[in-house]
Amino acid sequence: MRLVLFQRDAGLPNKLLPFITTLLFVVISVVPLHIPGFAVVRPAFVLMAVYHWTIYRPDLLPPVAVFAAGLLLDLLIGTPYIGTSALSLLLTRSVLMSQRRFFANRLFPVLWMGFLVTTAAVTTFEWALVSFLHGAALGLRPFIFEAVLTVSSFPVGSYLLAQIQRAFLMRV
Amino acid sequence: MRERSGTVDRLAGPVKAAAQRVVVPFLVVLSAMFIVLGKADILLFDRARMVAADAVSPLLQAVARPLETVANGVGKVEGLFALYSENERLREENARLLQWQEVARHLQTENAELHRLVKFTPESMSSYVSAQVIANSGGAFARNVLVNAGSRDHVSRGQAAVSGEGLVGRVSEVGERASRILLLTDLNSRIPVMLEESHERAVMAGDNSDQPRLLYLPAVAAPKPGERIVTGGAGGIFPPGLPVGVVASIDNGIIRVEPYAELSRLEYVRIVDFGLEGVLPQSAIPLPKATRAAKTIDPDAAR
Repeated sequence: MRLVLFQRDAGLPNKLLPFITTLLFVVISVVPLHIPGFAVVRPAFVLMAVYHWTIYRPDLLPPVAVFAAGLLLDLLIGTPYIGTSALSLLLTRSVLMSQRRFFANRLFPVLWMGFLVTTAAVTTFEWALVSFLHGAALGLRPFIFEAVLTVSSFPVGSYLLAQIQRAFLMRV
Repeated sequence: MRERSGTVDRLAGPVKAAAQRVVVPFLVVLSAMFIVLGKADILLFDRARMVAADAVSPLLQAVARPLETVANGVGKVEGLFALYSENERLREENARLLQWQEVARHLQTENAELHRLVKFTPESMSSYVSAQVIANSGGAFARNVLVNAGSRDHVSRGQAAVSGEGLVGRVSEVGERASRILLLTDLNSRIPVMLEESHERAVMAGDNSDQPRLLYLPAVAAPKPGERIVTGGAGGIFPPGLPVGVVASIDNGIIRVEPYAELSRLEYVRIVDFGLEGVLPQSAIPLPKATRAAKTIDPDAAR
């Protein structure tokens, strides 16, 4: 009996891992990396975390968690438009949820293609939203650059998250 | 016990399902509300930003240090390969700088003579704090950095941030142990500048590209690529004469400035208090509208 209780409790910290990794990816995305060119525009690590957990463990990354992560990102980035990332990540989660069955048990290239489409959609959405809020079309180049960087660094982020999932979340 | 929890479960099921159905629309509306409120420039959001920055700054600082060590290591290895050409370049530069040193010495004595002649009162003393960059939000729609100095280090809003090369930006938000510096290239950055030679005044406006634009330059001014841009001193925010950058290109009347400071790889900045009173303290700004007017020069209002 005691053992059963213990096992149940041990599941809780593990269940928080998707949220914790997502928050960690938020922090990583603002840490200054002194690589020329890289510091200006950086991959949207948070999008990778939301993508990964929505496909594999949506029960452990509920909408509230996605909203909180997006809000923290907006606050840390210092954009005047707080809520932009929260909104785009929430919508990403909702759309992915409806397409989840398609991604289940697919090979990595398919996941990567899916991520490419997701990133393209999110980038376009954010560009349009911020341009609208700013009252003038923003330059597209930094957005495109960020999207390309995000998609090309997906294997690294995806690998890390998959390892974490395999190590801690197989049984919970 | 078991039965009771079963009842609760049976009741909780539909309630939970209903709650789950509303939660996404609710959060979507909430974020949309945040966006609209933030657009109205409510002080609450400024404060929320600084609270978040203050809270995360110890973590950011802890992560930033080892990363810096790695970057420095990489830099050293790169440096080894470039040793010969670098040496050659430095030799040339040294020769050129020695000439300039002569000129500077000459000007210094001449300047001192002239000051004595006109009984010139020196500018007010300035003080500074050095701060490490702990977050560099390179999002595609904001250009700013967080530094690890705040109100407890006597940093206050509107102070100038400079690097070894030139102006970096100004302090836009101050927390207790961290503050945010709005870079010259940010969408909302507006700096009064002037052309160093002709003393023609303009406003340098960031647009999230690497090279900010010059606005409101009088038509008679004919800037040439390579001309130096310095702060203009208008508005009493920065003292005149701080180096900002050079004219990079003139294309269809759009003049772009290449900042001296390498904004994409800032590690340390100096936050300088020039003792100027041009920026209103945050508490003195009563209405959202007024905040906007104080922060940026609205092109429509200027007309």
